[in-house]
Amino acid sequence: MTPQLLINGISLGSVYALIAVGFALIFNILKFSNFSHGGLMSVTAYIGYVACVFLGHYIKDLPLFVVTLVAAALGGGLLALVVERVAFRRLRNSNSSVIYYFISSITMGILMENSITIFASSNFYSYPSFFPASVIRFGALSVAIPDLLTFLFSAAALVILLVVLFRTKIGLAIRSTSFDTSTAKLMGMDPNRVVAATFFASGVLGGVAGVFLGINYTLYPQLGQLIVKGFVASVIGGLGSISGALIGAVLLGVVEIFLIGLVGAGWSPVVIFVIMLVFLLLRPRGISGVIVQEKA
Amino acid sequence: MLSIENLHVAYGPVHALEGISLEVPRGQIISIIGSNGAGKTTLLNTICALIRQKSGTIKFEGRELSRFTHQIVKLGIVQVPEGRKVFAGLTVRENLMAGGYVLKEALRLQQNIEKMFDLYPILRDRQNQQAGTLSGGEQQMLAICRGLMAEPKLLLLDEPSLGLGPIIVNGVFQLIRRIREQGITVVLVEQNARKALALCNYAYVLENGKIAMRGQGRELLCDAAIKKAYLGECS
Ligand SMILES: Nc1ncnc2c1ncn2[C@@H]1O[C@H](COP(=O)(O)OP(=O)(O)O)[C@@H](O)[C@H]1O
Ligand SMILES: [Mg+2]
Repeated sequence: MTPQLLINGISLGSVYALIAVGFALIFNILKFSNFSHGGLMSVTAYIGYVACVFLGHYIKDLPLFVVTLVAAALGGGLLALVVERVAFRRLRNSNSSVIYYFISSITMGILMENSITIFASSNFYSYPSFFPASVIRFGALSVAIPDLLTFLFSAAALVILLVVLFRTKIGLAIRSTSFDTSTAKLMGMDPNRVVAATFFASGVLGGVAGVFLGINYTLYPQLGQLIVKGFVASVIGGLGSISGALIGAVLLGVVEIFLIGLVGAGWSPVVIFVIMLVFLLLRPRGISGVIVQEKA
Repeated sequence: MLSIENLHVAYGPVHALEGISLEVPRGQIISIIGSNGAGKTTLLNTICALIRQKSGTIKFEGRELSRFTHQIVKLGIVQVPEGRKVFAGLTVRENLMAGGYVLKEALRLQQNIEKMFDLYPILRDRQNQQAGTLSGGEQQMLAICRGLMAEPKLLLLDEPSLGLGPIIVNGVFQLIRRIREQGITVVLVEQNARKALALCNYAYVLENGKIAMRGQGRELLCDAAIKKAYLGECS
């Protein structure tokens, strides 16, 4: 494997990390797999596109890219707040079983995808190219600028999240509530507020991921189904572990790029699912080894 | 300070509390003793609104309590739950910070953390260690200190001596005595009846969701029925 491929893999993996961590945040706190996250990423990809088309008249290149990301991130955060309110709050307040969360999240995902189909019909749009497709050389290595920026901005988003989680009061509340909701309430933490904040954070990451997915592929309503990659990364890393999701995602990105070179784009997903199944069978708690059980 | 009137609580068809009434005067330690399944935890959880009552009123400083746990904490009622329930993956320091979540000022938070370190110095040495790595007794002390971080007016302790060795149990009871000296009112739920009765100002005996007996701690210690049912087993 060449260093070149490794860098491509890490760049791809950093986008998967955004998805996987957004997914893990919700899994941690509500103990279910939030598949509506895919629909949310589809919507944010379009939000970013609209922002970028409108603002493209005024600014260009890097500033336009940053503004697009911010618009999609905020859009994603706000949309996640709506999703939490509509799809999950009543379930939480009535202590519903995990199957209802599952149905609710799938339904919400489909709803968001289909809303896009209605508004954007199913035409394909694509982002303008923000940057010249040139490369930067570091000695013998040449790194494509889009890959580099993808990595840098994904990493920045994740670092901001970690700072919020580990250095702020609301971050402490999110972590405490993830460990034990009842005891967190006894500390005076308001579960509605904490869960809403978690959804917002997850939505922000989903928004950033949505833009990168939209740039890498074209825009289409089912774009967010790439959530599956985030899910695979979570399983490999250990469901409900943030560090596991990060490791799993980067690993997945690298393995995927490597496999595409080795067995081609057609077979690569097959191999990846086999790897995931192997993990589920042999080491269901993933690399990180944290055991978090789904809500009973 | 806290007054409960005719409280009924049920888990579906299972009646856990049937008409509990009790008074907790300011500055005292009130013990609630009773065997496993008597409804002690249910009572504390109902006060904290983790469980909804079927009927009955709970008043704190003359006003009926909120239906939301986090707001009850803001009023100054803090529960240290049964089984300690420290946040195992958070550091000792973070656990204390979580306990001080309701404090408004960052400075107060730091001051209170220092107070807890003075109260139980092991916490200072272990502050950056994950709470799950502490021994059972240390976790219990951490859980109580975490509860004190919020500067409660009323502290509810659910079986703080459960599963601990005799030396650390003495430490826990000493700490509870010091908490009262600081003017904090305490409701102490215990199966360790002898120690709880000796420490408290007044005690209630809970049996099958009803108050079977009540009286001053020392009176109950001498009571023949109590001796037979609760003290014979755990001396
Ligand atoms: N979550 C629950 N669901 C159903 N029944 C419960 C639940 N929690 C407690 N109970 C029942 O309520 C009664 C009182 O339990 P609890 O308050 O935990 O007693 P204690 O703390 O005195 O040991 C017991 O009969 C117990 O089986
Ligand atoms: Mg109990």
